[in-house]
Amino acid sequence: MSVDIQLAPVIHFEPGQSGFSSARGVNLAAAALRAGSLIAFVAILVVFSVTAPYFLSVGNIGNVLGQSAISGVLAIGLTIVLIAGGSNVVTGGIDLSLAANMGLSAAVYATIAQLGYGDATAVAAALLTGGLIGVVNAIAVVGAGIVPLLATLAVMNIVAGLELVLTQNTVIPASTPLLTALSSSGLFGIPALAYVLLVFTLIAAAIVQYTPAGLRLYAVGEFPDAARAAGLPVRRLVAGAFIASGLCGGFAGILSVSNLSGSTTGSGEMLLPVVVTALLGSVFSRRLVPTVIGTLLSTLFVGFLVNGFQLLNISSVLVSGVQGLLILLVVSATTLLRRQEA
Amino acid sequence: MTQEKAGQGVGRRDLLKFSAVAGAALAGASLIGSRTAAAEDGLSLKGKRIAISATGTDHFFDLQAYNAQIEEVKRLGGEPIAVDAGRNDGKLVSQLQTLIAQKPDAIVQILGTLSVIDPWLKKARDAGIPVLTVDVGSTNSINNTTSDNWGIGKDLALQLVSDIGGEGNIVVFNGFYGVTPCAIRYDQLVNVVKYFPKVKILEPELRDVIPNTVQDAFTQITALLNKYPEKGSIKAIWSAWDIPQLGATQAVAAAGRNEIRTYGVDGSPEVLQLVADPNSPAGADVAQQPAEIGRTAIQNVARLLAGQTLPRETYVPALIANKANVNEVSKKLGIG
Repeated sequence: MSVDIQLAPVIHFEPGQSGFSSARGVNLAAAALRAGSLIAFVAILVVFSVTAPYFLSVGNIGNVLGQSAISGVLAIGLTIVLIAGGSNVVTGGIDLSLAANMGLSAAVYATIAQLGYGDATAVAAALLTGGLIGVVNAIAVVGAGIVPLLATLAVMNIVAGLELVLTQNTVIPASTPLLTALSSSGLFGIPALAYVLLVFTLIAAAIVQYTPAGLRLYAVGEFPDAARAAGLPVRRLVAGAFIASGLCGGFAGILSVSNLSGSTTGSGEMLLPVVVTALLGSVFSRRLVPTVIGTLLSTLFVGFLVNGFQLLNISSVLVSGVQGLLILLVVSATTLLRRQEA
Repeated sequence: MTQEKAGQGVGRRDLLKFSAVAGAALAGASLIGSRTAAAEDGLSLKGKRIAISATGTDHFFDLQAYNAQIEEVKRLGGEPIAVDAGRNDGKLVSQLQTLIAQKPDAIVQILGTLSVIDPWLKKARDAGIPVLTVDVGSTNSINNTTSDNWGIGKDLALQLVSDIGGEGNIVVFNGFYGVTPCAIRYDQLVNVVKYFPKVKILEPELRDVIPNTVQDAFTQITALLNKYPEKGSIKAIWSAWDIPQLGATQAVAAAGRNEIRTYGVDGSPEVLQLVADPNSPAGADVAQQPAEIGRTAIQNVARLLAGQTLPRETYVPALIANKANVNEVSKKLGIG
């Protein structure tokens, strides 16, 4: 799948056509395109609300938000790298070490908590672990000039290996006041993790979408040459994106420890779903570029799909296939709409 | 000298006799078990929604238990809500959360790492949903249907010690001590070996992994055989389930070290086949009756919802399959 997503589709005015009605048609199509994926999302929500018992309850929606927290934080981290590196999967920005990063950070947190240190130490250690992994990625990509796909793949293996050494591939249970608070329910009986996801998304969106630094990230990703010519510190910005992504991995690790009451094996399995979610996120943005809010929407889209299928009591052997099919439908519908547009 | 004698007090022949007696006793118990199940067939789950949460269905054991549970709920007139986490703890927790929101009449949890699932089983209990478990003991579960893992561990350990003549080095896979049945089986091995001073568990113990269990066990055993190249330096390989045993058996055969015997638990058909092959290093495999365990758990749900009091644990007998009786056991399990 080539995901070389371009900037806003340029609206062409065909010469010789009578202006008003055709321009209006094009505008309508553009609006449909912008809204297409959102309409699909809402349609699926409506279908589930009508057919699946319990779907439309505060508790259930809170559950989905909470269950999406870990993958959401990881996907948002990846989104930052996608923005700064350009969204071509093969040559653009990608951080394959994110899931392994979460696993190691979780293991570090659980180990330190087990050794009897407090939450503050464990949080700092987990974030430091994630940040350091980001630094290594940054050095490999920006310093050594390795393609992100390969650089982060190598780092992923190192990190997964470190996790094995640290945990001996066993489950490390952990229980601290912070973990208990994170895994409990907050206001309106909604899981605390749901609030964490929303607040995290708001902060990330504020930084990425509404600050000069965020704008520069887009410039670097889409037009690196122009960005360089304009005097932007391209290398520093790309490095910063990898470090931010690493920190997201560390943060997701903390959330994972709270959700699973410790660190467990198999974090690597998160990788592909997170990559898919982050790429799918572009479909939920107005200009079809990776955005933080778009990624949140795609995380929730996947979360609601899984949840709805369980509520509908669809046989577990079918879920993964149907889910893949629906995602493919949404992506291809949007892509087709865009092509028509262009 | 005296110590040695004490160690040899239980001779190889006695052990064989003992395991034969144990096997017969278990077989008898299984007959009684099936008869009582048939007698109590007035059970019903009509109009009840029963949640079945499986940690995974990629092993013979959980697949059999999972499918048998779904069938049994339907047979008793209930509606199963069956979810399979594909051995992913994150998914397992999410599914349990959603199940709690679905408010079924009962939740039956198949396997799972206790520290991961227990907080959510507690939340289910707090929400007024009865929780039953298969093969995982939890204070939040009303009843746990399982094999008698103490019996399994002891039978397997005695078979192993008897096969190697009460002396020699054994290699142990101990990667899942956090999983209660595995821990019990391992502890029983240690208990038995304690009284055979010439039997030694090699350090460091190996760690079996999920996924890629077979491949990984193959690699680890191949490396270990290179480290202990002399014939007789290793007598047996033990694992708490039989998927690592599968990889280990293949590695032993590939290295031409057929003097080594492998031991495991679960009665996976491919391993039972190896045990049946006289040339294969597979020594014994304790076969649980997963489908029977699954059915029993659902019948327990029906009993509970009918107002009966359940015992803390319900044991379904296991059958040890060794080179001598494997065909009989396979027949009893309905395999081959």
